[in-house]
This record gives sequence, C-alpha cells and structure tokens, in this order.
Amino acid sequence: MNTIQTLLLAVFVLSSIPIASIALYSQPQIAKKLGTIGILLGCLMGLWSVWQGINETGIQSLTYSWQHILILSVSMDNLSAFFLLTIFLITGAAAVYGFHYLNEREKGLRTLINQALLGILASAMALVVVAHDMVTFLLAWELMSISSCFLVVYDYEQKATRHAAYIYFIFTQAGALFIFAAFGWLHGLTGSFSLSASAPVPESTKLLIFFLAFAGLASKAGIFPLHIWLPHAHPAAPSHVSAIMSGVMIKMGIYGILRLYLTIAPDSLAIGRTVLILGMVSGILGVVYAMGQNNIKRLLAYSSIENIGIILIGIGIGMIGMSSGNPIMAVCGFTGGLMHVLNHAIFKSLLFMAAGSVAHGTGTLAIERLGGLMKQMRITGLASLIGAVAICGLPPLNGFVSEFFIYNAAFQSRQLSNMDFLLTVLGAISLAVIGGLAVACFTKATGIVFLGEPRTSEARHAHEAPLSMRYAMQFLATMCIAIGILPTVFAKPALKSAISMVTTMTHQPTTLLQTQAIMDLTTRISWGSVLFLLVCAALWWLRVILYRHKPLSRTCTWGCGYTKASPRIQYTGSSFAASVLEFFRPFAPIHEECQEPVGVFPTKARYHSSILDIAETLAVQRIAMPVVRAMRSLRWIQHGSLQIYISYIVLAIAALLVVTWLWR
Amino acid sequence: MLTSLFICLLAVALAPLFSAVITKTKAFLVGKQGPPLLINYYTLAKLLKKGSVYSESTTFVFQTMPVISLAVSAIAILFLPIARMPALLSFSGDVILVLYLFGIARFFLIIAALDTASPFEGMGAAREAYFSFLCEATLFTVLMLFYKLNGTLSLNDYFTGPNAISIWRPEGAILLLIAIALFVVLLAENSRVPVDDPATHLELTMIHEVMILDHSGPDLAFIEMSAWLKLLFYATLIADLLLPELSTITAVPAFFAVITAIYLTIGIIESITARFRMRLVPKFILTSFALAFFAVILVLEM
Repeated sequence: MNTIQTLLLAVFVLSSIPIASIALYSQPQIAKKLGTIGILLGCLMGLWSVWQGINETGIQSLTYSWQHILILSVSMDNLSAFFLLTIFLITGAAAVYGFHYLNEREKGLRTLINQALLGILASAMALVVVAHDMVTFLLAWELMSISSCFLVVYDYEQKATRHAAYIYFIFTQAGALFIFAAFGWLHGLTGSFSLSASAPVPESTKLLIFFLAFAGLASKAGIFPLHIWLPHAHPAAPSHVSAIMSGVMIKMGIYGILRLYLTIAPDSLAIGRTVLILGMVSGILGVVYAMGQNNIKRLLAYSSIENIGIILIGIGIGMIGMSSGNPIMAVCGFTGGLMHVLNHAIFKSLLFMAAGSVAHGTGTLAIERLGGLMKQMRITGLASLIGAVAICGLPPLNGFVSEFFIYNAAFQSRQLSNMDFLLTVLGAISLAVIGGLAVACFTKATGIVFLGEPRTSEARHAHEAPLSMRYAMQFLATMCIAIGILPTVFAKPALKSAISMVTTMTHQPTTLLQTQAIMDLTTRISWGSVLFLLVCAALWWLRVILYRHKPLSRTCTWGCGYTKASPRIQYTGSSFAASVLEFFRPFAPIHEECQEPVGVFPTKARYHSSILDIAETLAVQRIAMPVVRAMRSLRWIQHGSLQIYISYIVLAIAALLVVTWLWR
Repeated sequence: MLTSLFICLLAVALAPLFSAVITKTKAFLVGKQGPPLLINYYTLAKLLKKGSVYSESTTFVFQTMPVISLAVSAIAILFLPIARMPALLSFSGDVILVLYLFGIARFFLIIAALDTASPFEGMGAAREAYFSFLCEATLFTVLMLFYKLNGTLSLNDYFTGPNAISIWRPEGAILLLIAIALFVVLLAENSRVPVDDPATHLELTMIHEVMILDHSGPDLAFIEMSAWLKLLFYATLIADLLLPELSTITAVPAFFAVITAIYLTIGIIESITARFRMRLVPKFILTSFALAFFAVILVLEM
C-alpha cells in the first residue's frame, strides 16, 4: 500500500469508527472506549503514512472522478506531511484526554456524538492538507469548519456557548466566502482547479487574489484584526476540543496561506512585508490582550493569536528572503515558522489540557479564584509549568527551537535593502518583545494559578485529574522536552518541507552545503540545552552537598513583621498585569464598572474591570451596528409566512430569467 | 585558551569584590567609611554556613530558582570574551541563547516570588516582568546593529578577531550611543538606582531585593553570586566595547581598570540621584531603545 492509500485508510478509520460507535449508545462507556481506540488507531496509521511521506522525495497523488463532473484529487508532498504530523499527534493526545474529561453519565449520547465529530474534524483537516485541487480543498475546508462549529456547542445549554458558536460560524463562513471568491477568480484566469500548477497570471492580479484569499485564511488562523471569534470559541468548547482547535485547526489557515503562496508564486515583496507586519501586530497585541484576561482559557486563546503572530513573522521573513533572492534566509524563516506550527500545537494543547484539568479539579477557570494548586495537582501543575516555559520560547524546551530559527533568518538580512533590513530588524525586536511579554503573561498564568496559597475554597479542595487526562498531558510535556533537547530529529521534516518550498519556487536545487549549515543550527540548540541542564545538575548536586547536616525548618512566609497574613493579601493576576496593560493602554483600553459604597452604612459595592479588544470594539461599533441599523429598515421583507417566501423565490427566478434574456 | 580560562576564573572570583566597589563608593561620597571591600566574601561565607527556613506556602519551584539563576549567569560568563580574549565557548547564535537563558532565569525568579504568597514579592515580580521586556527590545536592537557592522552572531566574534567592534573604529561615535544604551540596560536589568534601589530592604519601592526576601542560607548565596555575575556580564559587554586594541599583557589590566570605572560610575550615580518613580522607569528604559534604534538608522545611512 502506498503512502496516500495508507493515509486515506487512516482518515477512514479516524472518522468511521467513532461514528459507528454511536450505534452502541445504550452502553456509552463501551462505545466511548471503542471510539477512542478508533481515533487512536487512525492517528497511528496516519503517523505511519506521514513517516513514509517524509522519507519519500516525490509527490504522490490519487484522483477520483465521478461522472467527469466532480473530480477529487489528493496528493502528499513534504509540506502536507509536516502538517499531517501535527494533526495526528495532537488529535491522538486529545482523544485520550477526552476519554476521562467528558465523563458525565447522563450526557452519554452527546459525548459519543462529540467524539464522532472529533474524528470527522481530524479527518477533514487531514483532507485539507492533502487536497490537490480547489474543489477538494473547499469541501474539506467546509467540513472542518462545520464539524468544529458543532464541537464548540457541546454545552449548548449555556447562552455564552451558543453565542460563541454563532460568532465562530459567522467568521468561518464569511472567511470561506473570501476563499471561494479568490479560487473562483484564479480558476477564471487559468481554467484549472489545480492547486499546484502556476499558470501565467499577471503579477498585480496575483497580489489581489492572494490578499483576497488571505482575508479568509487569516480569519481562520486568528490573525489580528480577524481574530475576534477565537477568544469566544476556545473558552466555550470542551478543553480537548480547544486544544485541537487552537493547536491544529487554526494552523490550517497558515497551511492555506503557504499553499496559495506556492500556487501563485508571486515575485512581489509586498506579500512578505504585509505578512511580517501582520505577524508583529498579532504577536504583540495578542500577548498584551492575553495578559489582561482573567479566565485561563481566554488567556490561552489570546496567546494563540500571539503565536500565530510568531509563525507569521517567520513566514514573512522567509517570503522576504524568497523575493529578494536569499534562499538561506527563506529556508530559515520557513523552517522556523513551520517548527513553530508543530511546537505551538504541542504546548498549546498541553496548556489547554492543563486548564481543563484545573476546571475539572476545582470547577472554575477564573484566575483570581485559584492559587496553590501545585500541591494538590502535582502532575497538572508540572505539565502547565513545562508548557508555560515552552510557550515563552525559553531554552531548553521546544519553543526556543523555532524562535532560534526565526532569529537566524532575521540575522541573514545584511544584504537587503534598507527598508527590508529595517523591517526585519523590527521583526526580530518584536519577537524579543513578544518573548518578554510572554514571560510576564505566563508567569501570571502559572504563578497565580498553581503557586502561592489557595484563594478560595474551590482551590483548596482541588483534586488531581483522572488517569487518561494525566497520560495525555505527560505525553505532550515529554514531547516539549524531547524537541527542546533533540531538535535535529524533529526539525528535519520542517527543514525538508521548507527546502522543497524554496526549490519549487526558485526552480534551483539548494546545495547540500546550505542544508548542512542550517541543520547545524539544531545541533547548536541541543548543545546549548544539554549544557544548561548539565550546569543545573552540577549546581543542584553542589546545593545538596551544601545543605548536608544543615538545619532546615518550615514556617509561614515572612510578612515583614505582619503575622496574620491571609491568602487574600496575595497579589492578584489583575494587579500583576496592571502596569503592563497601562503601558499599552491606547491599544488595550480597560473598561471599568464601579459602584462605590455610599452612606454611613454602605450596603452594596461592586467593581468589575475587563480589558477591551479594540478589534472587537471597532468591529461592533463601526461595522456590525451600522449594518444592523441599515438592515432594520428592510425588516418588512421578513414575514415568516411560507407562501410569501415561495413567491420571493418564484419572483427571483423570473427576474433572473428576464435579466439573462435581456443580457443577450 | 589557557589565558581565557585564567581571566574568566579571575573575573568570576573578583565579581563580588567589584560589587563591593559600588558600596564603598557610595559610603565614601556621603563621608562614611563603609564596609570593607571584602564584605561580599564574608557575606557569602556566612550564608554558606547557615541552614534555610522555607515558607509552608512554597513548592519545589522556590528551591530550584537559585540553581537555575546561578547556572544561567555562569553559562553567560562562559560565552563572554572577557578583555577581548577569545571566549571559552562560542558558536554562531550563542548571543540569542544567552539572552534567552537570562529569560528562563527571570521566569523562575518571578514564579518563585509568586510561590511565597507574599504580597510584597508579588509586587516585585510584577515590576520585574514589566521592565524586563523593555530591556529585551534594546538588547535585540543592539544585536541587530552589531550584526550589521560585523556580520556575525556570537559574542566572541563581536569583540575578537580582525572585524571586532570597538568605539575606536571609524563608526565609533555611533557605538558611543550603544554604550550608553547598554549602560541603561545594565542599570535596569541589575536593579540599580535609578530603576531600583538595592539598599531599601523593607519598602514597597523595590524590585529585585523584594523578590528574594524569603530566601536564606546557601540558596541566598547562590542568588547573590548570580546577581554579581550578571552585573559583571553587562559591565564586561560595555568594557569590551570601550577597550582599544591592545596586547594580552596590557589588555587585562586595562580591562579591569575599565570595569572598575564602570562600577565607580554606578556608585556615583547611586549617590547623586534618587530612584525614579515607577512611572518614569519605562521612559528611562525606552530612552535606551531610542538611542539604539537611532544608532541602527545612522549605520544604515553610512
């Protein structure tokens, strides 16, 4: 069986077994086990096909046609294989996690349907990345959007969840319209549905088509300012679904951008510059908004926007390198961006799963109500700590690997024109600033939630997550460490796809020497990580010796003389973030509601503050509300009576007939 | 290589002494005798002899922080070309590794502070997180400038070899801006006046000292040593920039003279200025960013 057949079989297993297991809904536990095993089996087969795909050099494809009208074709190149790796890795872990996470007996059938949708979502994403023509791509794209939409509404009893799904649905469908438009235009110009051939298209049209599709793909990827759905949908969905959506699904937007870039192969620097600038904006504002959140999952959702920004910085630098004839810069930038796709998928799913465990163990996700969870939830706490260090891009974990590649791409810019050099400088500086802000954001997320003293009784009575959830988190945490220490193994597929991208664009093979120079980067990273760990181990050993036969005692924290400290005097997450938010005030205004205590015997006082997302505020105030107001005057059209609607249809058809008749 | 190793060990051994120069300068300028120059060695010996008291609120994070902190500072020194001698370790891109290692030290410093559940330490942690990201912007701008001038990406290649960066080169005037910017970053990253006041131990005005309030014994010794090494790291960066091309014999004394001058300057600044209000600190740090970025633009126009 060749690679593509193995993959299609994996996709079939991935979707059919969970669907079939719904039939056993009278025995939800057995059905759930069966479905989980099905998803795991599908993922393992998928990973096997990815392994084959990475080791093969050529492109494999398979075409299916129905009546010569509907021609569907799939193919797998290095780029697809790399994204498939991410999809199957995270879906497998999420399925294991979901086994104990969704464990309410009375929601048996709903859980099974959720599981089936999970399988469908993963299959749809796999089909998106292997689609070889526009029709297959769009079919899989829509299947992906709709199945994920249903996954979000698992808790449909809650109004906020329905609202989130509704916003998500609007964004995903509106985004798809842009992609349809761009593909239609491209088809009109070239007469082919293929996603690989670059037929002659005028350069200016190329740019228009690219940016048209980019708008749609960017709304899926969560690029500022089209990210509005993301912080609504991720917290509403069950945690393992958020893990897949944030870790993998939004990356489909990145995949789309890369595939389209390869398809139309523009020469212009404008694309690279735009992508780089959008990356900087998304990255910095994403992490600033993340800092201001009080709900862990909302914080993680905004941090996804930040990480998409980092990916775009990498890809943008790669594109600039491409257009200015600097293949090493291009390969480094693309490798960094792709590595960050995989790395972010791993640590963001890990963090979402840890957040799910916190919700499971305490019943709340509000950062200000938690604290001190490290003592009762040791595994979740450790997993979260590893995820936090990794997401800040700090060595010796995997986040550093991708950022190191992106920096190395930025430090290839010496020969560029002044304008591009300055842009790349700004890219590197924003990467550093994003890193610094991420440290602030994730020390808040781990420090306030897992360390210190429990702030409420919910946090005091927390309990550790059940077995399957712990397994999934341990697996992903191990991946973070493994990639950080041995990046060579994992960077190879990313590097291979980056090189194949560059060679297809430039039509000249990269020399072996250049490849070797880039692979050396990974050796240096693992060298640095090992050095750091060794020095730490040596100092730890020294510390053990120094503490031998020394008195050690435990007492309360020193309160500078104050002895009646209570957990309530601890610094809160909001105050921790306050000064950074103050610095970014023009971009992140804070909305405050305050009812002050009045009178001699004040009864009630309340204070509420939240950070406003300027993209959302502006979209609602300047776009949505005026449109709603304008549409109100057309409301008389809607009667709710079936006869009138049928007559509308008849009239519309008649009008179209007249128009087409006149047009001749 | 052997010379480098020797100088590196010498610098590490002298780091506590240099820090005492600051204390001595401050004492001298206000007409006091001040503690002896060897005060930091006494402190170190005293701390290493003691045991520790741990808060019941803390977890393993609190105890790993000193180790990580010292490990990072030690590794940073290994990559540094002291007195323009070749660094002990070096590879292309090591400067990014070093800056990110300082990041992980900061990460653990902040969460160890939050681990104690103390409001004071939380306050210090918030400030540390706030000011450090501004410093990162300056540092990476400086890196980009060095890269543009020199074409390499390692601390060793910046300051050694035929292409070495120094203010005695034709574009030295621009590098003077960088030296000032780096000095501002030094003050901010090492919690000196006017950003932080290392002398205030029990007020709400401080950053670094408050975050280590609960540490004691050998743990505190590790942290102190790490802080001295970090200060030495930044001071050496500036000293290397200021040092002219010299032979080995003259370079080492010249280097230590420049380092002493830098520490004296820190002491003088601490004596004649007050700590800024917290609101002004970001502006102060951003000034360094503005200087560095201006230098980049000047280099582009060369």
